[in-house]
Amino acid sequence: MLRVLSMLLLGSALALSGCASKVDYGDAQARETVNTDFGSTDLQMIAAKMVDDMMVFPPIVQMTQNRRPVVFVDRIKNKTTEHVDTESITDTIQSKLINSGKFRFVDMSVVDRVRQQLDYQSDSGLVDPSTAAAMGRQIGAEMMMYGNFSSIVKRDGSTKDVYYKFTLKLLNIQTGIIEWTNEKEIRKTRSKSLFGL
Amino acid sequence: MTLLRPMLALLLAAMLAACSATNMGRMEVDEDGQTITKVYSSNSLLASRISVQDLKQKTVGDLLYIQATLENDWKFELDFQYKFKWFDKDGFEQAPEGQPWRQVVMAGRSQNSVQAVAPNPSAVRFEIWVRE
Repeated sequence: MLRVLSMLLLGSALALSGCASKVDYGDAQARETVNTDFGSTDLQMIAAKMVDDMMVFPPIVQMTQNRRPVVFVDRIKNKTTEHVDTESITDTIQSKLINSGKFRFVDMSVVDRVRQQLDYQSDSGLVDPSTAAAMGRQIGAEMMMYGNFSSIVKRDGSTKDVYYKFTLKLLNIQTGIIEWTNEKEIRKTRSKSLFGL
Repeated sequence: MTLLRPMLALLLAAMLAACSATNMGRMEVDEDGQTITKVYSSNSLLASRISVQDLKQKTVGDLLYIQATLENDWKFELDFQYKFKWFDKDGFEQAPEGQPWRQVVMAGRSQNSVQAVAPNPSAVRFEIWVRE
């Protein structure tokens, strides 16, 4: 009996050593299901769906056929109960759209610093006027990108169900018309099993 | 002793299952479209359960738009991930880090269409990778 027990211990130790805690690099695009909170996979799924859908919407295809409209990103209202960095979602969407070669963006978050630089170039007397960027030559945005992010969370005993809905809209600033909108729904359910496997 | 042995086996199986690596199957389509040219698989079990029933491609604007109809040949629900890889005419992968694995849950013996748009106009060829 003692021998069997020691063998059992040895076997368990060997098996456990294979799963010992360690730090390693993983695939940033892999599915992440640590818990039901908003995670990297959700962000990637939302961005991919939004960009894919926008790119094939016929009026957008027509609009971007011969020119690249200028867009500015307003913000995504976070109506969920979690802290979610919605700017990170719009940054990913913006990157994909710029890299598609279909859209151009203006960044409202750096306006003050750009103005400082323009003032420095035109007023300081240190910059060669022939290379200084001229005032009043920026291109105005044609579209505004904004949206909502909401969630419904339900719990019953050990089961937790989270439903996320991300809505993105593209509005024509001059006409006030929403040119495109779409939403991505995500459902995540956590249920604790008896043995935790 | 008779009770301990199956318990040990169960324990080891549980440990191994928790740490098992994901495998990958690959289906490829050439730029002339329509026909499936190659099916690579490093996971014969997954390859025997998922098949590509139909592949369609069209150009929207100047971007490649793909629809793949996948079929779960297994009689039980199948939970797997897929991702598209895009290549330009010289075989360079486009936005290799920008394509996430997407989750699909398919009921037994059912079909599901998955769609994707090329990340930029230079993508002319694609591959679909599937893993559990």
